[in-house]
Amino acid sequence: MSTRQTAYTTSGTETKALGKKFAGVLCGGDVVGLFGDLGAGKTTFVKGLAQGFGVRRVVKSPSFTLMNIHQTKHRGIKQLVHIDCYRLTNPNQLEEIGALEYFGRKDIVVIVEWAEKVKRLLPKKFLKVYFNIKKGDEREVRFG
Amino acid sequence: MLFWLIYNDFMLILGIETSCDETAAAVVEVKKGRFLSRANTVLSQINIHKKYGGVVPEIAARKHVKNIIPVIDQTLKRARVSPKNIDRIAVTTGPGLMTSLLVGSQTAKTLAFAWNKKIVPVNHLKAHLYANFLHNKKVIFPVVALIVSGGHTELILMRNATSFKKIGQTIDDAAGEAFDKVAQLIGLSYPGGPALAKLALGGDATAFAFPRPMLDADNFDFSFSGLKTAVRYAVEKSPRLTSPLKKNLAASFQQASVDVLVAKTVRAATVYKAKMLMLAGGVAANVLLRDTVTREAKKIKRPLLIPDFIFCTDNAAMIAVAGYFEKPVDWDKIIVDPNLEI
Ligand SMILES: Nc1ncnc2c1ncn2[C@@H]1O[C@H](COP(=O)(O)OP(=O)(O)OP(=O)(O)O)[C@@H](O)[C@H]1O
Ligand SMILES: Nc1ncnc2c1ncn2[C@@H]1O[C@H](COP(=O)(O)OP(=O)(O)O)[C@@H](O)[C@H]1O
Ligand SMILES: [Mg+2]
Ligand SMILES: [Mg+2]
Repeated sequence: MSTRQTAYTTSGTETKALGKKFAGVLCGGDVVGLFGDLGAGKTTFVKGLAQGFGVRRVVKSPSFTLMNIHQTKHRGIKQLVHIDCYRLTNPNQLEEIGALEYFGRKDIVVIVEWAEKVKRLLPKKFLKVYFNIKKGDEREVRFG
Repeated sequence: MLFWLIYNDFMLILGIETSCDETAAAVVEVKKGRFLSRANTVLSQINIHKKYGGVVPEIAARKHVKNIIPVIDQTLKRARVSPKNIDRIAVTTGPGLMTSLLVGSQTAKTLAFAWNKKIVPVNHLKAHLYANFLHNKKVIFPVVALIVSGGHTELILMRNATSFKKIGQTIDDAAGEAFDKVAQLIGLSYPGGPALAKLALGGDATAFAFPRPMLDADNFDFSFSGLKTAVRYAVEKSPRLTSPLKKNLAASFQQASVDVLVAKTVRAATVYKAKMLMLAGGVAANVLLRDTVTREAKKIKRPLLIPDFIFCTDNAAMIAVAGYFEKPVDWDKIIVDPNLEI
């Protein structure tokens, strides 16, 4: 699933299920960048992904809080760090919020909404997921 | 505890808040259980006067570092209080960003060490509710309170001044966040919540039948991301975003949000037999929300408290009030927790 694959979903529930499945291919240290417009389904996808890691807490949008750290129920991956760059006006703010110290840590997966805003600060080989709004509730989700 | 609260009848508390965008300090005077803000400084409000609602917040711990001491210094001077007369220091220890929280807590620790004071660690969300205790307002328990801000939408049951129980929350976007994002969808600049409310004044709230997410759900949770997406679809369906169309979108969205917020708050008040309702957080500035809650509270014959606007958005006076109720500890016991919840 990790390279050049495209999926189509027709509801939030399906996007969540896709996120949950994606959790299965991730390894500790991975950084995932999510791309796509408002309402494209990025947070919805993270909800499913978190479920895949056994996160108990409700996964809410970090647009205001900027970074939410979730404890998981996973053997190797202990934390899911959920970052949202929606409000950032300058990529350097990613460093100021203390996000960089979570990158590449063996027991942590980092997932970043609005990754386009901070691309140059993400690790070289970060995973990318693109969300495209098609007709109505249909979404194209591309893994690249 | 009660004994102590009644007999400790004069106190000066220095509040410090750096959990998010604002660098804030305040001195609150407590006299016979009443709270008076003697000085309340919020750094970004200096800009708000220039252009109300148009401030783009700076997300920078570095800004906090630069500003915190001047803000505290100015606050003490304006309150005409010298450090030796401060009884305790209250500081936000969560929720918020680690890097931002550390600036406030390290400053509080340093001052507590130098001045030989105790510190009270404060939960920012509880503090939003304590804003309602300021300026002689009388609180009758149990209270059902709605916190609506940029980052939070939570229904809280308070059985007394120190008992907080979360009975509901947003499962995705916060209400303020939805206002800002929908504002962006209709072409307003960030953060567009207040501008959207203004635009809605001239619109028809029935023009679009937006969903009322989770209105009928058998719980007290909220959801705003679906509403955001519904507005997006409506925008995309329209060939051109004319001014009347924008007004109608704004009014219909605002109505949908307020309907759910108020209906669930009122229902919670009934179910939990609340004797009083409370509103708190930045979205409490929204006039339709205020008016609707006021009207509905009257219908169920419950008094309602809403803080003055300056105490709705992030401020340190509310942190200082919270500092009265919680237990003071030594400076080396202060730990910040970015994930702190109610
Ligand atoms: N009149 C209004 N109508 C609707 N929304 C408003 C209005 N005025 C302000 N807001 C919204 O309130 C939010 C700001 O709230 P506030 O300042 O309490 O958030 P915050 O304290 O930073 O968040 P938190 O406490 O969750 O960390 C913004 O989303 C803003 O658009
Ligand atoms: N196919 C779909 N995939 C994801 N979300 C969808 C889909 N169809 C409808 N939705 C709805 O759209 C909204 C997506 O919002 P959200 O995940 O917050 O988007 P983003 O984080 O990209 O702004 C949710 O309310 C979701 O239920
Ligand atoms: Mg999102
Ligand atoms: Mg706040």
